Amino acid sequence: MAVMFAAREVRKVYDMGTVQVHALRGVSFEIEQGEMVAIMGPSGSGKSTLMQIMGALDKPTGGAVFLDGEDITTAPDDRLAEIRNRKIGFVFQQFNLLPRLTAVENVELPLMYAGVGRAERRRRAIELLERVGLGHRLHHRPNELSGGQKQRVAIARALANNPAVILADEPTGALDSRTGAEIMALLKELHAQGNTVVIVTHDREIASHAERIIHIRDGLIVEDERLSAGRKKPYTAGDGPSGQGGSGAAS
Amino acid sequence: MSVLDTIRTAIHSLRANPLRSILSMLGIIIGVAAVVSVVSIGTGGQQQVLANIGQLGSNLITVMPRVPRGTAGRVQQDVRSMFTVAMAEDMERLLPDVINVVPVVTTRGRLVAGGVNVQATLVGVTSPYTEVMNYRVADGRFISEWDVSAQQPVIVLGAELAKDLFEDADPVGQEIIAVVGNRRQVLRVVGVMEPRGQAMGGDLDSQAYLPVSTMMDRIMKTRSVSYFAAQARGSERAAEAVAQVEFFLRRRLGSTDYFRVISQDQILETMSAVTQTLSLMLGGIAGISLVVGGIGIMNIMLVSVTERTREIGIRKALGAKRRTILFQFLVEAVTLSALGGVLGLALGWVGARVIGYIGGWPGVVTAGSVAVALGFSTAVGLFFGIYPAMKASRLDPVQALSFE
Repeated sequence: MAVMFAAREVRKVYDMGTVQVHALRGVSFEIEQGEMVAIMGPSGSGKSTLMQIMGALDKPTGGAVFLDGEDITTAPDDRLAEIRNRKIGFVFQQFNLLPRLTAVENVELPLMYAGVGRAERRRRAIELLERVGLGHRLHHRPNELSGGQKQRVAIARALANNPAVILADEPTGALDSRTGAEIMALLKELHAQGNTVVIVTHDREIASHAERIIHIRDGLIVEDERLSAGRKKPYTAGDGPSGQGGSGAAS
Repeated sequence: MSVLDTIRTAIHSLRANPLRSILSMLGIIIGVAAVVSVVSIGTGGQQQVLANIGQLGSNLITVMPRVPRGTAGRVQQDVRSMFTVAMAEDMERLLPDVINVVPVVTTRGRLVAGGVNVQATLVGVTSPYTEVMNYRVADGRFISEWDVSAQQPVIVLGAELAKDLFEDADPVGQEIIAVVGNRRQVLRVVGVMEPRGQAMGGDLDSQAYLPVSTMMDRIMKTRSVSYFAAQARGSERAAEAVAQVEFFLRRRLGSTDYFRVISQDQILETMSAVTQTLSLMLGGIAGISLVVGGIGIMNIMLVSVTERTREIGIRKALGAKRRTILFQFLVEAVTLSALGGVLGLALGWVGARVIGYIGGWPGVVTAGSVAVALGFSTAVGLFFGIYPAMKASRLDPVQALSFE
């Protein structure tokens, strides 16, 4: 299996004027193509920062992240925009749909930025919405949809350009448990179809849907746990920013 | 992302907030309307002035007496007395490019017919006057050469004057009395001029024309002429004609300080320069409101960028590049200002028609003012839209996404 994500000694320091906040203190791991991985940790653990860096939304202070073999920490802004557009499908806790656009128009957005023609865009958006079970809600605006339906639109949008990876940040955080379970089922289904899925969560229950949980705390990976294979692999590498540590997932 | 998609996205955003869009366009609408109507007033006014000058006559040359600088009123009388009928005859005879030199004497007087009593300007002229002034008799005849040489007591009335004195009766053949100072002269009406309307130098319709000799010898008892009206032999000889008149008078009077020769071309040039400067100035003042309108658009766009920070973050997360965001907001600003320009143009056109109707000239909206109005409003949108658009495009996606 090809390596989809490779994080090498990723550090992120926020300069808050007088105080420097070390959000990530040297994180290394690999995620292979087709894996479903949860990145889990309490709030303030650095998991959101990690997701932003993995999603090419932010750049680390040190270290490197390779997505599909390409270093996304040194690429220029325009290239990062292309990577976000083509290779990453974001699913956010707050859905982040544009309120004035209909469901189908929201799904069309990444296709529009990819330069897909109008008719083709519409055809593919409808297809994607049907795939997530929203074929009957194409022309509804977000405020006319339930939370679960909104998240389905967001997932359809994330799939628009056949991304290399789906990055879901607390995808069930704004949903009741029943709807949350439906969304998790949908994500698992996408994983079963061969998609690489990365879920960032603080919720053990949600994380347990994945095959593997990367536990993060205080900016460091504390455990890399494999579930589906039935084996728990404790995270054993060095826990400081120095040294050879942080290669927990490499094997 | 295609240009068309960007424009569609921008218009979609503007339509989401129609009231705000219209309000932010208002400055541009008013600015463009002001520019268009002011320029139209200028152009219409100018056309009217030029038409008036054109009415004065073809290839008209006017020779006016001039007071030498720094001298008192008595000298003016001396200078005026230097213009004589003989000089008019000499100029016509000697100057090759000058024809129809008419000595003109004017005075204010009263005309009495039956019980009616009217104030009028009495103008003493010779028979070529109608040709020089491009002026025609409507009824009867004009002053003839014989009238001049025999000092005939005859008079030709302006259209308005004839109506005032005789109402609907035919004035030709009637007798009237001219009263100038304490002199009275009985005159026979031989003609009525065509109506001419308001023109440069007063209302021709309320003037009356007499033989210059009758005016000078019988009524005013003077030997001097008020001014000369003459014609160049052709429009292409106008400059030579002016030069010849100047040469002649300098030899006769000793200095160019005592007279001034004005050709129609000069009047036209001066008047167009004056009206052009005026409309340019007014247009410039109106243009300031365009700039103010642009600032209004910038203000709204800045508010919009702040409000839509999250939208910008989402768009960036989905793959919008900096220039895509920049272009989207720039197109919004330009659409606002260009649409404002079009609406302002419509409003300005209506304004021009209304003002033209009141002022009595055609409300002209020239292609030039249309182009300038639309061009300027678009440029204003570009100029004032670029800063908010850059601000939007430079937003950090992480911060923009977490913006509430």
